[in-house]
Amino acid sequence: MKSLSKEALLALYRTMQIIRRTEEHLIRASASGDVLGACHTYIGEEAVAAGVCAHLTQDDVVFSTHRGHGHALAKGVEPKALIAELYGRDTGCSRGRGGSMHLFAPEVGLMGTSGIVAGSIAQATGAAYAFSLLGADHVSVAFFGDGASSNGVFHEAINLAAIWDLPVVYVCENNLYATEVPFSSVSRVPDIASRAGSYGIPGVAVDGNDVLAVHETAGEAVRRARSGEGPTLLECKTYRTRPHSEGMRDGGYRTTEEIEAWKARCPIATFERLLIAQRYATEQELAAIGDLINDAVAEAAAFAKNSPWPDPSTATDHVYSRA
Amino acid sequence: MAFEVVMPRLGWTMETGTLVEWLRRDGDSVEPGDVLFTVESDKAVQEIEALERGILHVPPDSPPPGTEVEVGTVLAYLLRPGEPLPRQAQDAASRPPKVAVVPEASAEAPKPGTAAAPAMPSRPTTAISPRARRVARELGVAWESLTGSGRTGRIVERDVRRAAEAARVAETSTRPLVEPVAKEPTMPAPWAITQPRSKPSHGTVPVTLTATADATELVRIHEQLIESLASRAQAVPTYNDLLIKLCGLALLEHQRVNAVWRSGEIIAASDVHIAIEVETESGVVAPVIRDVPSKSILSLADEVRELTQKVHGAQLKPDELQGGTFTIANLGEYGIDAFTPTINWPQSAALGLGRVVEKAGVRDGVILPRYHTVLSLTFDHRVVDGGPAARFLDSVCEYVEKPSLWLVR
Amino acid sequence: MREMTFTDAAREGLAEEMAQNPGIFVMGEGVGTRGGNFNTTVGLYDLYGPKRLRDTPICERGFTGLCTGAAMVGAHPVVDFMFIDFELDAIGELFNQTSRIQYMSSGRLQMPILVRGSIGIFGSAGPHHSGNYYPLFMHVPGFRVVVPTTPADAKGLIKTALRSTDPVIFLEHKGLLFSKGPVPEGELLVPFGKASITREGTDVTVVAVALMVQKTLEAAKQLEQEGVSCEVIDPRTLAPLDVDTIRDSVHKTGRLLIVDEDWGPCGIGAEIAARIVDEAFDDLDAPISRLNGAFAPTPYSPSLTAGMVPNAQTIAQAIRDLLAE
Repeated sequence: MKSLSKEALLALYRTMQIIRRTEEHLIRASASGDVLGACHTYIGEEAVAAGVCAHLTQDDVVFSTHRGHGHALAKGVEPKALIAELYGRDTGCSRGRGGSMHLFAPEVGLMGTSGIVAGSIAQATGAAYAFSLLGADHVSVAFFGDGASSNGVFHEAINLAAIWDLPVVYVCENNLYATEVPFSSVSRVPDIASRAGSYGIPGVAVDGNDVLAVHETAGEAVRRARSGEGPTLLECKTYRTRPHSEGMRDGGYRTTEEIEAWKARCPIATFERLLIAQRYATEQELAAIGDLINDAVAEAAAFAKNSPWPDPSTATDHVYSRA
Repeated sequence: MAFEVVMPRLGWTMETGTLVEWLRRDGDSVEPGDVLFTVESDKAVQEIEALERGILHVPPDSPPPGTEVEVGTVLAYLLRPGEPLPRQAQDAASRPPKVAVVPEASAEAPKPGTAAAPAMPSRPTTAISPRARRVARELGVAWESLTGSGRTGRIVERDVRRAAEAARVAETSTRPLVEPVAKEPTMPAPWAITQPRSKPSHGTVPVTLTATADATELVRIHEQLIESLASRAQAVPTYNDLLIKLCGLALLEHQRVNAVWRSGEIIAASDVHIAIEVETESGVVAPVIRDVPSKSILSLADEVRELTQKVHGAQLKPDELQGGTFTIANLGEYGIDAFTPTINWPQSAALGLGRVVEKAGVRDGVILPRYHTVLSLTFDHRVVDGGPAARFLDSVCEYVEKPSLWLVR
Repeated sequence: MREMTFTDAAREGLAEEMAQNPGIFVMGEGVGTRGGNFNTTVGLYDLYGPKRLRDTPICERGFTGLCTGAAMVGAHPVVDFMFIDFELDAIGELFNQTSRIQYMSSGRLQMPILVRGSIGIFGSAGPHHSGNYYPLFMHVPGFRVVVPTTPADAKGLIKTALRSTDPVIFLEHKGLLFSKGPVPEGELLVPFGKASITREGTDVTVVAVALMVQKTLEAAKQLEQEGVSCEVIDPRTLAPLDVDTIRDSVHKTGRLLIVDEDWGPCGIGAEIAARIVDEAFDDLDAPISRLNGAFAPTPYSPSLTAGMVPNAQTIAQAIRDLLAE
């Protein structure tokens, strides 16, 4: 913490709050029907996206999951572009073609969220390969969950990055459940980070609700990648306090006690207390930041609500580069 | 995919034909264009070529040579090696061969949606390929009555093109006529002019006029011809030939008598095609001499001789029997003076010739030996009135009496 | 004009494009120092080294996803699968991701990627190394499917593919790899969506795919003796498919046969037949005919496979049958 400036710390805070407030709006919008399809919220995991993306430039790229709103916002997608996309409007970042699980904003390095689990892992590896081939000093980040770590492509892609020293960071957000399947039932080994040893690369497990811890370890992984030292597997242990997808049940596979325990470890509340205790900011300052963000989100929501729908005649555009 | 070899339709009036002789045997391998058999129809004999390749199979129940059968009757099959017969051929015992049966109505259309090819009907179906339908439209062919050579009996492009070509040939042999004179509601199917006389004419109202012509000058012409042609290897025109010529000239001037029925209309023909009746053992045949007025007497004589030979040799082609606008019959050699010739559909008149005989004639009050011949004209009173018919007959007589008039025609 | 084998011509095309575009790299099993199982990259490793001629472990989904990601940020990967059968291990990646990145990103991302594999029944390769499968790719929006049959076309089409920003499935029949043909000097680009009329004729149109083109030309030569004039069309690319050339030919001949070693159901023949019935119904004098390989996995023994694939005799007979329709 001591090595970070106040600006940097507040930037982290701001990022987390933007994610939190936007997601809270989307929860309401989902219930009201403005959000049309699936909505997998990132609430409780904000520290991971914020901590990792703080080290990325606009030219660095991020490949995300079905639970990707946090990554999108942290990488630089504006709330209005995200909300409009979930509303299915032409002004959404995917022009209404993707919805929550297929967010694309290559202008800011968001190379897609994915409806297919583990889709990000190999693609991020490939972007890293291209950077290496073309001599760019950019870095590629794959976000994925504990569920994806069971898929063969996890093994295949990380191994390729390892043998070729690719500039990629693998960030596994282990929130303990793949939909309703507990991680403990799909792996004899409770850690995912330790798998890195099988590929000969560093693997680090970190408290995913501690934004400063995430920030520090991610910083090292990004540095390694950018300097050509190769990939790192970063396991962020965290928790989502909402159901898998809005509208789905939250009981039956986990207890309210468990959820409440994790809510008490909210990354934003924890960080707020820390900032105030260490005198980096006052309560009022943080509240003011929160209010500004609330206004921005409300404005974004109004923008989305008033946005036009995509033109039906464009439905088959962009199947090919040239018609 | 057996291909049916059927009794073909050779002329537009043909309904039955007789298989004369197989020229290829059961089991022979056959290519398109090979002659398979000969057919006699209306006294003309034709060679029939294979349309497909295959092994010829003549089933045991195929009509034996000499039998008259309906057009469309299956006579044989062309099979691919190892191919079995269609089911209906295998059921041969239950089906007697068709012999001169009254023609059926047109075959049923195939049911839509039938999957595999059904047992082949003995009559062609009216299925037609889209391309053939388009080509039929372009060429103006009425495809509904065609026989299809496609696998399921469907009519395909080649069938339509063949029909169009056949129609074109038929068109040029019976040139289009002009000047409709009168209209008549639809008539029953026309008779070929070679049908035996026992068939009644279609409600014609026949009236016969007779006139006696002084044939002395004609006889003189004839003797001169005999003399001048003796040294040449040229057939000497007979009285019949001469009468054909001058009758043709007269018809040009009296076109109303040269009238034929066509598509329900009576047309006064401008071209003169004269059918000449030839007696044979099995009946009367009337080959047609086309464009009589434009032909010289000598070429007419040659043509008559040639046609007569063909008649006796049963070598006439169907189109040599069609298209006549007038008929001449001659019973003079049997000592007949006059008779009532019958009209041959679709014509409207016929001239009967009797013998040329030396008789006592009167000239300027003096009795002299003169040659006489009686000309008998039967005409259809529905079409031609007495006046025009009489005037025509008078012209003929005038040409007989004054041959010099031919020089100015 | 010089004669080259199909493989050498394709490789020459690849080499020319790699020289122009530093973003082109080849990834696959054995493409490095070995030069490729089918000699697809012989000599290139010495020129460009391991970064551009990259040997992989056996992880088809992994390296397909990798190449997809690489194409998204400006590289032009050639994914060399050796056999189309192995592409099936990456079908999820190819269909769900590769084919539709352009669409999902509304055209802001392109997908310049060449997916390469050998096809066809040849050399007793058995059930796992004999597939064709091109209808699968033709069916999914987003792919280009290219099946060259001559050395010149192999070179011209691979060069066009390497300049395309669409994902291209590039399929080479094993039976054609050693075939020889004229290849002109100089720049050679064959456009997608343009069929080649390899033999002109008037009685029947025969569309043939991959190795079947050669077999059909043999049959056509035989049939010429019997007075039959065949027009033989090689589509060259199956997606986009040049239906116009086929339709113009059917307008001339009235009869259409499609010869394809691949299985019949939902195949290229079914697609062409549906298109021609729709667009040229009044030109058809007979039902459209298809001659396909036997509908079974490909066995090992030649006594079995010989009768399962169309040859010049069965093609000639199919044409005769069609003419009798």
